[in-house]
Order: sequence, then structure tokens, then C-alpha cells
Amino acid sequence: MNWFAPDYLLYGSMITYLAAAIAAIIFYKHPHLCTQSAQAGCILASVLGAASAVRLLLSGQEKIILKPFESTIPYVSVSMTMDALSAFFLLILSVLTLCVSIYSIGYTAHYHGKRNVSLFHFLYSTFILSMLLVFTADNAVFFFMAWEIMAVLSYFLVVFESEQEENRQAGLLYIVMTHLGTAFLMIAFMLMFYYTETFDLSASSQHIPETGRNLMFLFFLIGFSTKAGVIPLHIWLPYAHPAAPGNISALMSGIMIKTAVYGLLRFVFLYLGVETPWWGAVILVIGMSSAVFGVLYAFIEQNIKKLLAYSSIENMGIIFIGLGIAFLAFARENHWVGALALTASLLHCFNHSLFKGGLFLGVGSIHYATHTKNMEKLGGLIKRMPVTAVFFLGSALSISALVPFNGFIGEWLTYQSIFASISSGNAALNIAYIVSVAVLALSGALAAACFIKLFGISFLGLPRSDHAAYAKEVPLAMNLGSGILAFLCLLFGLLPLIPLNLLSRVIASITGNGVVGQLQGGFLAAWYPLKISGNNNAVSPLLIFVSILLLAALALAMLRILGGSRRERKYGTWDCGFGSLTPRMQYSGTAFSKPMKIVFKIFFQSSRDLKLQGDHPYHPESMEYTITTESVFEKYIYIPLLVWVTAWSKRVKLMIQTGSVHTYLLYIFVAVLVLMLYNRIG
Amino acid sequence: MIAIINNLIQLLVILLLAPMVDGLIKKSKAFSQKRQGAPILQMYYDLFKLIKKDSVVSETASWIFKATPYIVFSTTAAAALLVPVTTLLPAVPFPGDIILLFYLLALGRFFMCISALDTGSTFGGMGSSREAMISSLIEPSILVSIFTIGLIAGSTSIHQMMVTMAAVGNPLFQPVFILTFLAMLIIILAETSRIPVDDPATHLELTMVHEAMLLEYSGKHLALMEYSAAVKQLILITLVANLFLPADQLIPFAGSGGFLLSVALYFLRVVLLSAMIAVAEISTVKFRFFSIPNLAALAFILSFLGFLQYFILGR
Repeated sequence: MNWFAPDYLLYGSMITYLAAAIAAIIFYKHPHLCTQSAQAGCILASVLGAASAVRLLLSGQEKIILKPFESTIPYVSVSMTMDALSAFFLLILSVLTLCVSIYSIGYTAHYHGKRNVSLFHFLYSTFILSMLLVFTADNAVFFFMAWEIMAVLSYFLVVFESEQEENRQAGLLYIVMTHLGTAFLMIAFMLMFYYTETFDLSASSQHIPETGRNLMFLFFLIGFSTKAGVIPLHIWLPYAHPAAPGNISALMSGIMIKTAVYGLLRFVFLYLGVETPWWGAVILVIGMSSAVFGVLYAFIEQNIKKLLAYSSIENMGIIFIGLGIAFLAFARENHWVGALALTASLLHCFNHSLFKGGLFLGVGSIHYATHTKNMEKLGGLIKRMPVTAVFFLGSALSISALVPFNGFIGEWLTYQSIFASISSGNAALNIAYIVSVAVLALSGALAAACFIKLFGISFLGLPRSDHAAYAKEVPLAMNLGSGILAFLCLLFGLLPLIPLNLLSRVIASITGNGVVGQLQGGFLAAWYPLKISGNNNAVSPLLIFVSILLLAALALAMLRILGGSRRERKYGTWDCGFGSLTPRMQYSGTAFSKPMKIVFKIFFQSSRDLKLQGDHPYHPESMEYTITTESVFEKYIYIPLLVWVTAWSKRVKLMIQTGSVHTYLLYIFVAVLVLMLYNRIG
Repeated sequence: MIAIINNLIQLLVILLLAPMVDGLIKKSKAFSQKRQGAPILQMYYDLFKLIKKDSVVSETASWIFKATPYIVFSTTAAAALLVPVTTLLPAVPFPGDIILLFYLLALGRFFMCISALDTGSTFGGMGSSREAMISSLIEPSILVSIFTIGLIAGSTSIHQMMVTMAAVGNPLFQPVFILTFLAMLIIILAETSRIPVDDPATHLELTMVHEAMLLEYSGKHLALMEYSAAVKQLILITLVANLFLPADQLIPFAGSGGFLLSVALYFLRVVLLSAMIAVAEISTVKFRFFSIPNLAALAFILSFLGFLQYFILGR
């Protein structure tokens, strides 16, 4: 018996997550012990999970089936299947969980004695376990149950700091929106049962007629898009992520929203199949709008966690662009391009979980040290929290898609898949493709601008408040957690074939089309280039990185030889001769994004209000300047919808809810009668 | 090994020539204004003077401020490695990818922008914010332009694109290339901080973008930053020269003679393009900052029409 076979490892991982949850309850009187045992359990479980996933991917085994017990409910089986696609998402989950759990050992220490730590760790471990089940469930009802458990547990985690009114509201919005998505998923699953009479995912979907397919696609798309937080179903995301504790935001943004990508691939791509071109086109359009609007709203945001939340919307948009291109390519029987686009999209999922996880952990550290999420109160943290700053910068460079970090590889592959699509596309689609190139370029550049702002305003310059001035470096465990993520970003950027080799097995298994070895390159001999075999486009991040290092050394040496050794004097920043600079004179985050706000003012609905006090307009005694921005989506879609629904339900309430018992008895009688008649006739 | 040496020779050509191109543009501008102007080699003198001076570093600044000049220089020089001066030599030990080229330049820009925020100076923030806006708005036209050329060449390798354009012969006789060329000219003006987007000659806070970010730099650091800006400018000029005004197809013989001739022709085209940039600069005024989106939109429309002409109408 091989105890290191993927299925035993997976069982081990699940049991360890459960054990961690139980340990959290047992040690509820000892916060330190509780934190350490629960998080150690999660760390061990994530290592087991990652080992299981990697072993399955490397072994070439098609899939493993786990059936812990027989279910007595008809049509529902509690069985799990881990194939290559599940394994890949399980790997993302495990890597992120590993780092977040290390981080949590330090982070949750500030809850000790103040909050119910035991409850937190219980929710934390079971939340991760529920995501593991989502990735492995192979029965639609079981998947649905895991999906709901995941939604509810994450809701409890979002409202964990529930004494603040805004957190409770964010939680409410989240649970409403997520159930809206769930409702659509439920209809889709019912349609699935209606047409095939089984909830088994391995069953064939051949007998579903065209209309049924299209309907199911739309319901799946709406259901999963709500979880993904793509525009226009994103409104919960910028509220829920900032409300959640730092480590939970990292998990939610890093992996939970990607369950949507998994769902789309599992239920639409693999189950329904992609013969219809307009499906891909719809996904592509959703992706493009998310990428642009997400990053625009991120750029004008001053709340550091909200900024990251909007940036997640942007990155989900980029992932959806890749998915859309893949769907379009497969619908047009262009398997090579489709496989490339799918590779780009899934790699970006992995990359995004690494760098966004790192960024949320970094922002959690800032909040831990300064107790504020407002960028305008930060500044100069690089001197007080040097280690956090370095790791944060690494993740920020990566999300800005700059070489030599992994973000660039994902972006480059997405560009290459569009490149390959246009080479083989037709005229109408070519316009869509070139627009998506422009969209990717705009959102990429704006994302860089966003993180220039986030890093520059929070970490550089002078501290803008006492919160920032007296900040201290966070505990080692926290830096270790975000450090590993930043290191992985650099490693996978320099050696992109490490994740891509695993990923190419996934692509080969789910497209059923031999695309393994499509992305190939010789080890160091040819400087480890990442090459696309179809058209020989290639990049070699390692060589570029080495060149950059050599050229920097050259610059140092030449300056030394030609210029001699010169002193470096410390002196104040140029203040135009008016006396010393104060932190208030620095550029603020609002000022930094002001030009963009003016250029794209149509999307921001911004209004300003200037109040002057005093007699003279040029020398006022005091001045108050307020600037407000609104989201177009909230203003023109959600708020009118909310108003309409409220008004309508008030009217309906007056009509049918009279308050008298005999009316209600009549309702019950009519309902039973109708059901009996339906049963008789139907 | 020979490939690496060839590559280094081309890098050296760009590194040595870059300050002179700056001088050429300044001289052309001076000529049009009936001034004598500074010598063409003035930038070399300036750089040598600067590297012999002490540098002053702000008390507020962190290691970012001191590391940035080296990062900006090394990324720009690494970008120069990717751009062949001539297509005659099998010079590239790795295929220089054009998307990589622009993302390398973006890495330098990222650090330049955060270093400007590092000193806590208002000017730095101003320059950084404006640079972030201009570069974001111009980025879509860059990618659409390079996609158009890349798709025609069937590759995103810069070398391959240049070889294809040399085979086309006179690209500027075809509408798709004229449109893309015009877009690229606007892109060069925006990326190298020239009139009408920015004014390289002024130090007035209301108008400056690039200079505002360099305001706190002095001595060696300033020398590196100025030098990198000149190298970046020559990289873009080289790219446009070899893509839209290819001359390597004219050279009848191979070997080192051919190489020298090719470099000489390259030099002529660089002079021509520098003069064009100077003409563009003297024939316009600096735009109001919020008119720059119009210019970016113009560049985008030109590049987009170029794509449409070739891939929609052309097929």
C-alpha cells in the first residue's frame, strides 16, 4: 500500500483540515495554543494537499475517485474526483493556504483576548476545506452543497469584525449577491437534471437540446460571474474584501473568486462543451469591461484594501479575456489557439493568487501596524517596516506585469494567444480581438499606475499621520508568509516553465488534444526561454534578468572609473526656499489620481464641494474641500433596481398579506389543489 | 559566442550614439530658431561633468531613490539589447520580443515614478502622477501598432519584424504602414517627453512632467537618469527607423563591409528621424495637460485604422 499516493494524501489533507478545526474548538480557552495548533494543522494540510495535486499531475494518472461513504439521498452521491483540472486548482489553493496560514500565526495574535479566536480558526479551517470540496466534488448537488457552505462560511468571516456597521452592511450585500448567483446556479442544475435525469457530472450532455444548452450557459455564467465579481455583478466585492480580516481577504481574493473560473470550466467547458461561438464572445466582452472598469475604479480609490479589491475585478477580467478567447477558438475548431489561451488564463489564475495574496497580506500588515486603511494617513512606511515594504514592492511589480516577475508571463501569454487568434481569425472577430489588445494594454498600464500610487503614497515620503509615524515592523511569521509569496512570484517569473509544465498536463487532459510540449525550452543551454512552438515567439526572463544585473554592475563600475569616488550628501528636499516641507505638502493619493479622474469623468460621476469661510476669497480663514465619486453601476443599475424592488414588494405585501388567518388558509388550500391537479395531469 | 559579440557591438552603437541624437535634435531646433545652439556633443560634456560631482540625497528618501538610477539605466540598456541596429548580423542569441521591450521600459518607468514620490516633494508627485496618466493613455496605441506590424511579420520578434519590413522594401508606400508610422511618431513624442506632450527644456513646475521627476537628482544619479532617457529615445528611434525606413535590403554585399555600410545607413536614418522630431517639436506648442488625451486618442485611432486597413479591408 502506497501511503504517498495522491488519494491518501488528499484524504490526509481533508482530515487534517478537520483536525485543525476541532483543535480550534478544543483549545478555546487558550488563544495562543488555539492559534498555533489550528494554523499548524492548516499548514500541514496544505502541504499534503499540494503534494497530492503535484503527484497526480506528475504521475500522468487521469483521475482519482474518492468515495468516503455511500449517500442515502437519491441522485446525490458524496463522491469526489480529482482530475488534472481539480488538481491544478487544489495546488493554487494549497500554496496560498500555506503562506496565509504562516502569516495568520502572527496576524491573529492581535485578536487574542479581544475576540473569539477559537471561532475564527474554526471558520478559517472549514472555509478552506469547503473550497477543497468545491474543487473536487463530482456530483452537481454535492458541488452545490460545498458551494453554499463556502459562501456561508466566508460570509461569517467577512463579518467577523462585526462591531463596525460598515462591515455588517458589506456582509449583507455579500450574502445577498452570492445567493443571487446561487439561485441562478440552482436553476442551471435543475435544467441539467431535467434534461439528463442525473446530477452526475461524468454523464453525457449530448441529449440536451440547443435551447437548453444556451439557457444553461447563461445561468451558469450569471451564477459563476457573481462569485467571480466581474462587472456588472461585482458590487459586493469592493465592500466585502475590505471588511474581512487581512488573511481572509487574501484567501477570498486569491482563491475563492477563482472557484468561478473552475466552475465555468467544469460545467460549461467540460460538461456542456463549447460549440457555440457567441458564448466565448459574451465572456470576452465581460472580461474586457471588467478589466477596464475594475482598474479605473481601483486607480481613484484611497482605501488601500478597496483598491486591491477593485484590482481583483480587473484581474478576473484579464482571466475572463483569456477564457473568452479560448472558448471562441474552440468553438471555431482552432484547438491550438484555444489551448494557448486556456494556458494563459489558468496561469494568470495561479499568478494572481500569488501576487494578490501577497498584496492583501501586505495590506493586512499595514493595517496591523498602523490601524488604518486610509492611504492619506500613511507614508514613509518603508523606513519603519523595511521588510514588509520589500515584499510588498515585489508583489506590486508582479501585478503590474513587469519583468522579471510572473505577472509578465501571464500577460505575455494572453497577448500571444490574441496574436495567434488574429492570425487565424475572421474579419468580424479580428475587431474584437484588437480591441481586447487595446483593453489589455490600457488596463496593464493603469494597473502599474495604481500600484505606483499604492506603494508610493503608503510606503514612501513623509508619514502623513501619527499612525504611520509610530508604526513598527510586524512579527516574523507575517513577513514570512508574504515573503514566500513574493519569492514565488519572482521564481515563477524567472523560471516560468515550472508552473507551465504542470499546467500543460492540465491543458492536455481537458482539451483532449495533444498540446503537451507546446511551450517548450531547453534548460539553461538556451537560457530557459519560454517559447510558443506555433510561431516561435519567445521570451527569456532569466537572460533578461541576468543582463539587467550585469548592466547595473557595469554602470556602477563605469561611474566609479570615470567619475572617481564621490561623496553623497544628505540634505532636505527642495522646498523652493520657503522653509521646511511638511507632510501636508506632499502629493496625496487623491491628487495622484486626479488627472485620470478628470479624463474619465463620465465613469466616476464625481462632484466637488468647496466651502470657504472668511471675508476674503483669496485669504479664507478655513477651507473645506469634499470630493465624492460614485460608481456608475451602483447609481444607474443597482440603486434604481433596489428602489423598484422595494416599492413593488410593498405593493404586493398590501395586496396578499392581509393578516387574516383564513386568507392564508385559503392560499394553502389553493396551492395544494393546484399541485394535486398538476400531478394528475402532468 | 559571435552572436553575443555582435549583440554587444549593437548595444555599444546605441549607448555611444544616444547622447549625440539628443544633441542633433537640439541643434535642429536651434537652427530653426536662428540660434547657434549648443554643440552637438554637449550632452557628453554634461554627463562627464555630472559624474565627477558629488550627489545630494534627500533626507526623506529611502533606498528606492538611490537604486532607481541604476535600475532605470540597466532596464533601458537591456531594452537596447533587444533592438537590432542592423538586421544583417545574426546578432540575437535570444529573440528580442517587442512586447518584452515595452514592458522593460515600463519597469524603468515604474521605478522612476516611485522614486519621484520617495523624496516627499510636491514636484515629484506631480511629475509622477502626470507620467502615469500619459503613459497609460498612450499604451493602447503602442500595443495596437506593434501588433499590426507583428501580425504582418507573423512574429513578435523584433528581428523578424525588421527582416519582414526590409523585404517589403518601401513600407511607407502602403497605407497600413503610413498610419502606423504616424501613430509611432506620436508615441515617440509622448514616450520621450517632448513637445507637445512635455517640454524637455523647461523647469517650470506647471509644464514639466519628466523633469519634475528628476528634480531631486544630482551628480552621478542625475547623469544616469539623463543618459537613460537619451538611450530610451534612441531605442524608439531605432525601432521606427528599422521598421518603417528599412535600408538593409539595399546593401549588396555581406560581411564586415556590409555591416559598416548598414551602420552608416542606420546613422543617416537616425539623423533624418531626429530632424523630423525636431520639426514636430518646433511646429507645435506644448498642449494644455488635459488636451493630451486628444493626442493619445489620435495616436490610437491612427494605429487602429492601420490595423483595420490591413486586416479587414486588405483581406
